[in-house]
Amino acid sequence: MNDQPNDPIDALLQKGFEGPVPDDGFSARVMQVLPARRPRQRWVLPAATAAGIVACWLALTSTSLLRAAGRDWTTGTLSPPILVLLVAMVGMSLLATWWAMTEADAPG
Amino acid sequence: MADGSAEARVDQALVARAVHGNDRRAFEQLLRRHQGMVRAQLRRLTHGDEASADDLAQEAFVIAWKKLHQFRGDAKFSTWLYRIAYTCFLQSYRKSIHAIDGKHDDDLDRVSAPASTMDLQMDIEYAMKRLSAGEQAVLLHCVQLGLSHDEASYVLAMPLGTVKTHATRGKAKLQLLLAAWRETGN
Repeated sequence: MNDQPNDPIDALLQKGFEGPVPDDGFSARVMQVLPARRPRQRWVLPAATAAGIVACWLALTSTSLLRAAGRDWTTGTLSPPILVLLVAMVGMSLLATWWAMTEADAPG
Repeated sequence: MADGSAEARVDQALVARAVHGNDRRAFEQLLRRHQGMVRAQLRRLTHGDEASADDLAQEAFVIAWKKLHQFRGDAKFSTWLYRIAYTCFLQSYRKSIHAIDGKHDDDLDRVSAPASTMDLQMDIEYAMKRLSAGEQAVLLHCVQLGLSHDEASYVLAMPLGTVKTHATRGKAKLQLLLAAWRETGN
């Protein structure tokens, strides 16, 4: 594509752009309305993740589901315990994907 | 280029101070460095409505302050701010019952040449308003704010191919509109 014919258009558009707006007290006004920011609690996410893992582990080990699924998996049988675990894993993966996409869409 | 990377390093340092040290003065410096262009961007998007543009700019900087820890440095800080500001504008626009210009691509054939007394800048303004909203946004960010196509794609949350298409079509339409203006003998 030949960009040469567009150069005058670029020049005209740039000429028609007023450029940065003078501050005129804008920054001071914004600083007055900035909310106080609480320090970020960096431990919350790892702690919540660890608590979730422990809770899952306790819930699964208190039933025979995990052992049954492991036994059936080694024998190649598609049993209800395996299906339950697969559905749970797919559900968690979908939730994680949704959360990641939401975070990616947010500015920043 | 060197100036640009130096500016980016200054921004990064200020962001680090503002985030890790919770330093409001560092954020104030960021604010003073970028408010002019962000407000210019919003004034263009709101078609010169200075009050609305400044309200949106204030909202954008408050969001930037709240989300500053999410700035990862993948894009320039100014580009990140433009994106927040554009998102604020879009949200405001969607709430508004007023269309910004209501013009569509097929309106071109109804455009008449501006009055002979209008100066070139007003003619450019007039011609820009004849473009679709997407074309206006892309030309504003790519040509007037000086962003690359990639950066405009990030700011506008628009596929890169669409950005390039809007840029090409928008410029082609402007050429036609301004050619019509020139044919009037001005």
